[in-house]
Amino acid sequence: MLAAIGRFTRERVSFPLMLAAAGWGVIREAIRPVSWRRTVRHEFNLTMRQTILGGFGSTAVTACLAGVGMVYESLYWLGMAGEAQLTSTVLVTVLLRELMPLLVGLILLGRSGMLTLTELTVLQTSGQARTMLAQGIDPFLVFVLPRTLAFAIASFTLGMIFAAFALVFGYVVSNLLGSVHDSLGRFLSHLVGALAVRDYLIIPAKLLAIGYLVGLGSCLTGLTASPDDELASVMPRGFVHGILSIMITDILLTVAS
Amino acid sequence: MVAEAAAQPDEAAHPAERDRATAASPVAPVLELEDAFPDFEASSLPNALLRLRLCPGECVLIETHDTERATALADLCSGMIPLIRGTVRFMGYDWSELDQERSLALRGRIGRIHARGAWASLLRTHVNVMLPMLHHTREPVASIAQSALELAQQVGLPGLPLVRPDRLGESDLVRAACVRAFLGEPQLLLIEGAAIGAESAELMPVLLDLLLRALDRGAAAVCFARDLPLWRRQHFPMSQRLILLEDGLKSMRDL
Repeated sequence: MLAAIGRFTRERVSFPLMLAAAGWGVIREAIRPVSWRRTVRHEFNLTMRQTILGGFGSTAVTACLAGVGMVYESLYWLGMAGEAQLTSTVLVTVLLRELMPLLVGLILLGRSGMLTLTELTVLQTSGQARTMLAQGIDPFLVFVLPRTLAFAIASFTLGMIFAAFALVFGYVVSNLLGSVHDSLGRFLSHLVGALAVRDYLIIPAKLLAIGYLVGLGSCLTGLTASPDDELASVMPRGFVHGILSIMITDILLTVAS
Repeated sequence: MVAEAAAQPDEAAHPAERDRATAASPVAPVLELEDAFPDFEASSLPNALLRLRLCPGECVLIETHDTERATALADLCSGMIPLIRGTVRFMGYDWSELDQERSLALRGRIGRIHARGAWASLLRTHVNVMLPMLHHTREPVASIAQSALELAQQVGLPGLPLVRPDRLGESDLVRAACVRAFLGEPQLLLIEGAAIGAESAELMPVLLDLLLRALDRGAAAVCFARDLPLWRRQHFPMSQRLILLEDGLKSMRDL
């Protein structure tokens, strides 16, 4: 009974602890110039290209849909209620601070995180990771470090792309439907005015932290797969780890702000 | 070869270790298993003391039909299996006294033909082949590629295979594995014979040629043979012939 409770607790706690330890490990290695060998730099560039270019289309489409929904709806309904001056505040709070990090995190997880998870699971379960260790190549240094950092930067980049597409497309549709009469410059100027100092900190912090944890979680889930594990069992586990990382980070940073 | 600062074992090692390594005689062993008793839980190796001493220019043939056990012994030589007692030294350095970074750097001096999981499926074959050199050294990519290309032509490949490893035939993969193992003039060669089956028998004269040249420049080699006649036929310059049994490594002459 006691053993069963202990086993259950360890199973639940081990991954967050590993994530925290590896998260610190990535930061520690990242600040050492010797870690940035050409193999690591190459992997970083490759992952950046794959995550940003690969996620651009999905992000743009999602942003346009979210923009139409959020910007048009806010402008229309707040205008109807005579509270049009609150539009910028609502858009900053709901769209940029809450919805954007969540959607970008989900796109990153589905588009690139699951790919990383699959690649590293195969690497681990087929003995390829051990072969790399035998050659003196640490998979943590060559894959986990560059991919985690690339995911963090890609998340921020995709977030900015998301914001630009959502606001501009939302404005264009609203303008065509006649629910906004300001110029685009004035509309954006109001939005910038509604951004508080903490928004300039919390929005990038959310994007960077979510990207970092999605990348790290995908890598760790893959590299900790046991030889008996199959992709069919590892992928749902990786997806749950990713979703939890996104949600918990988002909530914690919202509460902290 | 210009090594990465942190990847250079001589600079990375503790001064005491370096003194011990340099104070040794000119024929200091490249690899030495001194009453090494591996952790039984961590490997499939026999629960016995293992002794082996391999000097520059020496080649040992170890017969074992158990591929897993051969891989485990190769791992032990590479400092990847913890010991309960005894020591395993490579180039004068005790693996157990080195931290992870130095161990990894030192493993860059080992060329190995792996029996299992030899190829990272997410990388193309030519990247797989050059990866250890790209990671451990600062030698220009063009120079590494040129050396790899020359080796590839020596083993009978028309060039460096650019496709992913799963697109290559078994025979070409073995040839590519030879290129990777001998690239960068490693100090120790670990050749898991299970990777070289009867279907790759025509590769043996080429392997012998590469091995002889490596031994001539002072490297040492450990060959794990499953198909012994295949190895005997080529008159490999074996300084010792051993068999891996339940009670350790035994000389064939003693049996």
